[in-house]
Amino acid sequence: MTPQTLTEKLLRQRAAEPVIVGSEFFRIPVDLVLGHDATIALLIERFQQAGRRIWDPARCFFAADHFTPPSTPERADILRRYLAFIQHEGVAQDLVFRGISHQLLIEDRRCQPGMVICGADSHTVMAGALGAFACGMGSTDILALLLTGEVVLSVPESIRVAFEGAMPAWLSGKDLALEIIRRLGEGGAVDRALEYHDRTRGGLTMDSRFAVANMAVEAGATNGVFVPDDALRRYLADRDGAAGALPGFEGAWLQPDDGARYVHQLRIDVAGLRPLVALPGDLGRIVPADEVEPRPIQQVFLGSCAGGRIEDLAIAARVLRGRRVAPGVRLVVTPASQAVFHACLRNGIFEVLSEAGAMITNASCGACGGIDKGLIGAGEACVSTSNRNFRGRMGSPDGLIYLASALTAAAAALTGTICDPRTVLDDRTAASLRAAGGAA
Amino acid sequence: MRISGKALIMGDHVNTDELHPSRFFSLDDRTVRSGFLQAAAGYEQLGGSDLSGRVIVAGENFGCGSSRETGARAFVLAGVRAVVARSLARIFSRNVRNLGLAAVECPALPALPPDVAVELDLARWRLFVPDGALDLPVTALDPFWTAVLAAGGLLPFLGLGDPLGPPRRGALPVYGGAP
Repeated sequence: MTPQTLTEKLLRQRAAEPVIVGSEFFRIPVDLVLGHDATIALLIERFQQAGRRIWDPARCFFAADHFTPPSTPERADILRRYLAFIQHEGVAQDLVFRGISHQLLIEDRRCQPGMVICGADSHTVMAGALGAFACGMGSTDILALLLTGEVVLSVPESIRVAFEGAMPAWLSGKDLALEIIRRLGEGGAVDRALEYHDRTRGGLTMDSRFAVANMAVEAGATNGVFVPDDALRRYLADRDGAAGALPGFEGAWLQPDDGARYVHQLRIDVAGLRPLVALPGDLGRIVPADEVEPRPIQQVFLGSCAGGRIEDLAIAARVLRGRRVAPGVRLVVTPASQAVFHACLRNGIFEVLSEAGAMITNASCGACGGIDKGLIGAGEACVSTSNRNFRGRMGSPDGLIYLASALTAAAAALTGTICDPRTVLDDRTAASLRAAGGAA
Repeated sequence: MRISGKALIMGDHVNTDELHPSRFFSLDDRTVRSGFLQAAAGYEQLGGSDLSGRVIVAGENFGCGSSRETGARAFVLAGVRAVVARSLARIFSRNVRNLGLAAVECPALPALPPDVAVELDLARWRLFVPDGALDLPVTALDPFWTAVLAAGGLLPFLGLGDPLGPPRRGALPVYGGAP
């Protein structure tokens, strides 16, 4: 049998007959479908018109993370309509108001390696960090999935990405995600899978892997998937306990075959990387932080499914401990989930950030999509740990969004300008980052 | 199938937030329509004008970014007839085709003047620009997408209903189950 990539293994075993003669598209049965208040609301009327029920409500992983709490009366209506819909259809409400759907997914026992997961949001790809096929889709695709239990997909070819060397203390997953896009180009992986191999000394943290997989879609990829390894095994053992996966949600432990065919191979020596920044507008201009023209900033956003995890907030707290953010700079902190929120309460991270001047919000998407709590005005600049710096995404089309790691963002909050974070680390902070290996 | 119209020329890497900013995310079609092109620099006024019958002609990676289907719906509500780009982002191209709107790739597409007349032949996979005497190859769609477009969208192809559902006007009642 022809050697297969991991994505081919994940999909081919489910792909029976082409959807129509001569097509390369197959009906693929799905294990989990991710949804949230914004994009599921767009399909409710057409769902009603179809006059059928959801094929399997237990496989619906439905959060409420966008309009939570709502910032306009219309969004309150949309949220209420969504909640009534999922209640009526018998979908569990245990995820509602608990944080960002993508973060909840990787924290949950229902999400396992080997699964096929589709979601009504582009950042569904993040679950690929757990060795699953995970991809984002629009509301019509998800509506068809809710009615039939299947999606129609082709099997993408893969780009192999190998991380090598030892991770410096000043780098995290966000820098690696930006390096991949810098090398492949924005859209350089359209209709491809990214297959990540962690060969770094000591291994990447899971939080860094989530940041990498989250931004697969920013390179245009269908999905991004980490090859399952001992680090994943430990993560799952810690998360799921002795009980393991739920019955019916077991997944599978798959590996790519030796000799599998890749359309392209990327080797990234992490030891040689500097902290990176994506300049405003799109992901076409990614440069080392020390090459960014310094400019005053008005806001730092520490949050989102790309950069609002415990590792990110802990790094920011190490930089800001005992210090104050620059005068006039708004440091908006939005944890990715309630679990992250509670961990920050327990280990004092919120106290450190709050004393430094941070404004801390509930776990939600928040400012990332220009939804609420932290929009920017014309002529303002924001350094954000989120995944998109598109024009107008966080408010005014004439505002500027720079994307960076939590460390680079914290350094910007401290100095009020964009700078190489290594220049603001005193010996104590540098030592604490080194001791933590970049992790929480 | 042949589709002709006046081109609306756009550039490379035009993303979904430029095409349809999230503040126009709504269940009211008037709000959705009014958001078309409202963060695409230089296109804001055009976005609000009558665009029925236009063919969007764009560069690389058109529609990259979000899965929000309000963006694709705005193309349909604006009366756009087709999208042709040097290359298309995956989720966006699925979204517009699912709603019954043709989106195809023409890798050899050169820079074209504003408002030039174009014609797509989706049987022979060609793009014609009569003024410039151009006759360019279009990448043939997989037979699945050809069938989806012939049916008018994914839902009719699968026998699951109308592509767009009923027109959305004003506040909707809170969901109360099947009608």
